[in-house]
Amino acid sequence: MLESELHDLSDDADYAASQQQGSASVMLRSDSAKQSSPHEQDDAEVLFSKDNVAIHPTQFASERISGRLKLIKQGSSLFMTWVPYKGHSSEANLSEKDRSLYTIRAVPFTDIRSIRRHTPALGWQYIIVVLSSGLAYPPLYFYSGGVKEFLATIKQNILLVRSAEDANVFLVNDFQNTLQRTLSSLELPRAVSVACGPSNLSVDEPNSPSFNDNQERTNSGANNLSASVPQFHGRPKHKVNDPRDISIQVLEKFSLVTRFARETTSQLFGENQNNGFSGYERRTRIQPNLDQPKKSTDIAEKVPAENPVIPDPKPLDKLSLVWGKPRQPPLDSPEWTAFLDSEGRVTDSEALRKRIFYGGLEHNLRKEVWGLILGYYAYDSTYAEREFLMSVKKSEYETIKNQWQSISKAQAKRFTKFRERKGLIEKDVVRTDRSLAFYEGDDNPNITVMRDILLTYSFYNFDLGYCQGMSDLLAPILFVMGDESEAFWCFVALLERLGPNFNRDQNGMHSQLFALSKLVELLDCPLHNYFQQHDCLNYFFCFRWVLIQFKREFEFEKTMRLWEVLWTHYPSEHLHLYVCVAILKQYRNKIMGEGMDFDNLLKFINELSGQIDLDASLRDAEALCICAGENGAACIPPGTPPSMPIDDGSFYNQLEDEIL
Amino acid sequence: MSYAYLFKYIIIGDTGVGKSCLLLQFTDKRFQPVHDLTIGVEFGARMITIDNKPIKLQIWDTAGQESFRSITRSYYRGAAGALLVYDITRRETFNHLASWLEDARQHANANMTIMLIGNKCDLAHRRAVSTEEGEQFAKEHGLIFMEASAKTAQNVEEAFIKTAATIYKKIQDGVFDVSNESYGIKVGYGGIPGPSGNRDGPSAAGGTCCS
Repeated sequence: MLESELHDLSDDADYAASQQQGSASVMLRSDSAKQSSPHEQDDAEVLFSKDNVAIHPTQFASERISGRLKLIKQGSSLFMTWVPYKGHSSEANLSEKDRSLYTIRAVPFTDIRSIRRHTPALGWQYIIVVLSSGLAYPPLYFYSGGVKEFLATIKQNILLVRSAEDANVFLVNDFQNTLQRTLSSLELPRAVSVACGPSNLSVDEPNSPSFNDNQERTNSGANNLSASVPQFHGRPKHKVNDPRDISIQVLEKFSLVTRFARETTSQLFGENQNNGFSGYERRTRIQPNLDQPKKSTDIAEKVPAENPVIPDPKPLDKLSLVWGKPRQPPLDSPEWTAFLDSEGRVTDSEALRKRIFYGGLEHNLRKEVWGLILGYYAYDSTYAEREFLMSVKKSEYETIKNQWQSISKAQAKRFTKFRERKGLIEKDVVRTDRSLAFYEGDDNPNITVMRDILLTYSFYNFDLGYCQGMSDLLAPILFVMGDESEAFWCFVALLERLGPNFNRDQNGMHSQLFALSKLVELLDCPLHNYFQQHDCLNYFFCFRWVLIQFKREFEFEKTMRLWEVLWTHYPSEHLHLYVCVAILKQYRNKIMGEGMDFDNLLKFINELSGQIDLDASLRDAEALCICAGENGAACIPPGTPPSMPIDDGSFYNQLEDEIL
Repeated sequence: MSYAYLFKYIIIGDTGVGKSCLLLQFTDKRFQPVHDLTIGVEFGARMITIDNKPIKLQIWDTAGQESFRSITRSYYRGAAGALLVYDITRRETFNHLASWLEDARQHANANMTIMLIGNKCDLAHRRAVSTEEGEQFAKEHGLIFMEASAKTAQNVEEAFIKTAATIYKKIQDGVFDVSNESYGIKVGYGGIPGPSGNRDGPSAAGGTCCS
């Protein structure tokens, strides 16, 4: 039950003061309104206009898009707009397209769920606007102040109530119905939840005593949403589940967003996270998020499997619109040179990895850069050092290669293991990427080189040997590196990370698929429950994705792009698992709507090959990775590939520091 | 397309014996010597006609390598038929049949129809397993047997269809409860279900949700 009381703002002295202050300055009619927003019509009245309100598309303070925030009243409806200034971005890389991506075009307050204000002692104030759908806009930073006036203006025009749980959260309820407005003003515990649509609360009783405050708050948001969605008669089952599912997602997004925004701010302004306030807030705010998946499991388990699947209230492309940074063009030669000092050292490897993460590499740079991002060459090595290493490694390669080349036919007869491996490799190299010009045709020498590298690897790492899938990993590397020894050592570096994928007992694969199931549980609990009900939790349908890093899902060029992005380990070394989640989320409605069982799911996933939008998936994966934050990292057990096995206690010490 | 029944098949056997080529020959009537090796599983489907009834075959083509066995085992569930393939030119692929069979017996339903195929019979000059040995193995283990060539298409059509005919006969004989999909058979909308008398039992019980 909803125990919380939703306080009116008028009891807040601080707020009352701001209202007085605000009312004087905001009731102005701006003639410039018409030209600045195409959505404004003649009868629209600009109630509030604030310049220098900015967003930061990334956590870097330098990347900032400034614009003008407005509140516009048209008839009885209130809208919010934020339009970035033209040609005014602090970062040259941000194109017009980027700017328009973030533009907020006349959002009606009926679509807004809540506004959270942040007034850090150090740095600028900002707000986070959460929509009824659970989506949130990026934090809006008020570089010229004005948060109070902004809230005051809203308060004068629609019902805005302060959340009982968090004094900085303001719940928006735009009631057109006077009766409901009156009911709401009585502040009856559930009055706000009634919203304006036909009530379905009689069947919506998910609130067991175990529900915490956050859940309650978001439930009212969910009802708000269901009110704005046309309701049809004769579908009561639908309604039962609707608000719950959405409430979970609202909560999920809401808490994730606030956490991310806080971290963003800390980074922007160098806030000390150990200072009393934020330390306290950190603990108290993260907790609900950790608890959340369990609770939603409880709810979803009550949902009968045959119920119709509701349309996704928050398509991921919108989520990425909010968080995922637009992809950039690939890194080109002049830009690459700028990353190097005169002797060829990468001066800022973090920045390089970041740049590659967002755009990949132009093809001609791959040969030079892949060795670095794979860890074969050190970032701080000079041209000369790399040249030297190359020659040393070349002779080392020849030595290992010679080990199997010197096995005579007579010796091979008594060496079954060798014969088997050689036979298997020879069978597989002629079945790897043969449609590609580089490998096509009879007696193609590149096929022989591939065989030699794989066989040499099986002597370099005799314990791991050869396993199917390795040739898929090698094919693009050999194509890029050209040189046999260089390709071999890059392949070795890659298998340092992915070797466990090919363990005989499959434990590397199982640990990744297990981590994936945990991530889906965190990031899409209804989908997780669906998989559970349909006996799909082994995630074998993602086996091929993980085993060879999506090699069979994309065309060759796109595979290379994806790989260099994953190899940067930029937001996470397990980004590939977030890519899995992102793709599954893109198709979650189809999967659940069609009631796919394990067989159909496997077939469906297999047939996605060639259909997946790489850039969108990467944006979504980044967004999910950021949203999941440390909760996501906690889903992935230490040592899950491509992580190195843990051999000392340092990781745990670090983990402890983070928790404390 | 409508069908009277849908049968799930699984193709198993050592790596490189020609599982994917058999499938491609059956579904597309072509032989593609240059073919990417199978990771995990691939799918194929084709309509056939048995006893004037349209039957859809949904065929799962699995990866053969030993280390993927634990994954492959999860694909047996609900298969009505299996093609167990070896390469007549490579003795070891024949020697491994027993272990494949053990997997199938353990993870598939007991009534699954298994067809043993000695593939690559066009390469008679390199033969390492005699036809008699194949026949003997099949007899011992209660399998149907054929030698075939994915390259020349010899016996490919026959192998898939004979398997389906055997499954169909089992339905006619009432061996399967076709309403139970764990047998790898789905009753479609496009045909008349078999005369099996046990159809109304469980399916009616599962369908009494209307009120």
